[in-house]
Amino acid sequence: MIFKIFRKELKETVRDRKTLLIMVAIPLLIFPILINVIVNVSSSFSESAGEKVLKIGVIGDTNDMLIQQLNSIPASFGPKEFIAYNGDSLKLFKDQKEEKIDLALWYDSGFQDILDGLGTANILWAVDETNIGYSERITGYMNILEAEERLKRYDALGIDEQKLQPYKITYQNTASDQQMLGELAGGILPYIFIAFGFLGCMYPAIDLFSGEKERGTIETLLTTPVKRWKILIGKMLVVVLSGLMASCCALIGLFVSIEFLDLIPDPNLTAVVSKILTIPIIIKLFALLLPLTVFFAGIMIPISVYTKSFKEAQSIITPLNIVVVLPAMLGLFPGIELNYITACVPILNIVLTTKSLIAGNIDYILLSLSFIVMIAVAAVAVFVSFRQFGKESNIVN
Amino acid sequence: MIIVKNVSKEFRLSKEQRKEHPANDKYTLAVNNLSFSCNPGEVFSLLGPNGAGKTTTLRMLSTILQPSSGTIEICGVDAVKYPREARRKIGFLTGSTGLYARLSANEVIDYFASLYNVPNNVLKERKAYLYDLLNMNEFASKKIGKMSTGMKQKVSICRTMIHDPEVLILDEPTSGLDVITAEGIIQLIRDYKSQNKTVLFSSHIMGEVDLLSDRLAIIHNGSLKHEGTMSEFRTEMQGQSLTGAFINIVQS
Repeated sequence: MIFKIFRKELKETVRDRKTLLIMVAIPLLIFPILINVIVNVSSSFSESAGEKVLKIGVIGDTNDMLIQQLNSIPASFGPKEFIAYNGDSLKLFKDQKEEKIDLALWYDSGFQDILDGLGTANILWAVDETNIGYSERITGYMNILEAEERLKRYDALGIDEQKLQPYKITYQNTASDQQMLGELAGGILPYIFIAFGFLGCMYPAIDLFSGEKERGTIETLLTTPVKRWKILIGKMLVVVLSGLMASCCALIGLFVSIEFLDLIPDPNLTAVVSKILTIPIIIKLFALLLPLTVFFAGIMIPISVYTKSFKEAQSIITPLNIVVVLPAMLGLFPGIELNYITACVPILNIVLTTKSLIAGNIDYILLSLSFIVMIAVAAVAVFVSFRQFGKESNIVN
Repeated sequence: MIIVKNVSKEFRLSKEQRKEHPANDKYTLAVNNLSFSCNPGEVFSLLGPNGAGKTTTLRMLSTILQPSSGTIEICGVDAVKYPREARRKIGFLTGSTGLYARLSANEVIDYFASLYNVPNNVLKERKAYLYDLLNMNEFASKKIGKMSTGMKQKVSICRTMIHDPEVLILDEPTSGLDVITAEGIIQLIRDYKSQNKTVLFSSHIMGEVDLLSDRLAIIHNGSLKHEGTMSEFRTEMQGQSLTGAFINIVQS
């Protein structure tokens, strides 16, 4: 009987364009679109930023030694054009403020003499930091000039450069690429799945309970000799399946983006991600997502049963998304790790467990504990749903 | 056969409802100590103005709601103690019941037949019989969402009768229908009665009540005001119209 109800509810759900859009189309397309946009926008932005000819206003003359040195820096470090202000610092900074020039360069009037006297010359770059890439360009220019000047001084003073370098420090990263990705990006994957799992559950949960109440079909169903818990489970299975389907489609979208569409330009990153998206990890991930999705269904159904209309249910369940996403976001912070306490916090434990799974350093006792905790909260949520669905005040408008 | 004995139903009021309620009570009595019976082979009309407790009574008979006190017997089954057994014997249709807009008439009928465990061969026969009777063959494959009100009502009635229930409970079955469709439904109720089955229906259309009923009960404010045969009622009317007599009873 549960299967009959499940089959009918599923048939009705997949015929609803809105649910289908949330359940399949959006999760499937979101990653290819998102990665495509991010990669293309960032690459075109960095390309255009790199090719941009920076207009640099200088306090002195374009024949000054500093400007000549800057001019000698290869164009591969970014093209530039100098505009002389011949000592008019007020106009220089005003023009920079008014964006007539991109950067303002001020330096001591006796700049070359100070350097020749082995003194410290002042250089001031006025830069609008909201223009991404400008500071990096200046730092690149100045590193080159400073390194040249330092070498000149070593020669002038007859000092061996090596003697001024007491340490040669090497920082060796003992974490594998997989661990690094697990730590840095591992939290994002379950976060996305949680968001999509929630969204995937939301529309069917509202439609199959509040929607049925609003349309008057629940009353018809309850006059049949089917036990109420069977009706509940049949409907709940569709809600859970929709949530899992949304997560699954998101995963397929991600996989297709990486494997087939070559949207990630860095081949090393693609290789590491491909290494992570293996069948055993995906199975474990879905094993964790299953109780989580049941939990989502279990918290949405009582709300949907209690409310009198689709709109009312939607207005309560939609903000709940934030409550669910908060513990998931907590798992993205560095330093929060899977332990006996965090394994007992629903949702957070899923994020942390997935991070560990991706990083390849999972503790199977903690994995089991997280799984048991999620099963327990899912069971409580199902029980609450059952109680609410059994109340006659909730099922008849 | 339906036997209703001393049935009452009270609802807990919400805080907002309590403010509107004159006595500020926590509960309101929707049905008060109601007793009546409907026999096989007869059409029983339940009449009452809006808010009289008709829908609550019908919902209790269909086991959607449980009475606060009293007993309901459906074809010898205690419907309060064994609601599932009672449901097998009931075909229930109210004005507020809806259909699944994204399914076709065929899919709806098949689904409900499966919920009543109607065997496939019986389902085929019942569908053929009811589709012919209700002129449903033309739109059997059409999605409910694309149907007219009359078509939907026919599908609802077919859904109600697909498992060949011993008791039909119909709440305003012809409400909002054109005269031709309404006439078809009236004919169907008569056919059902002739098969020695129990039909209980509520209606606001006095002509229909006059035409169909063998017995009737009038309720007001949850209490029974009148119960008897239609012929007795006509005698008591003393030349008044049916509507006039109904108003007199309610206001007395």
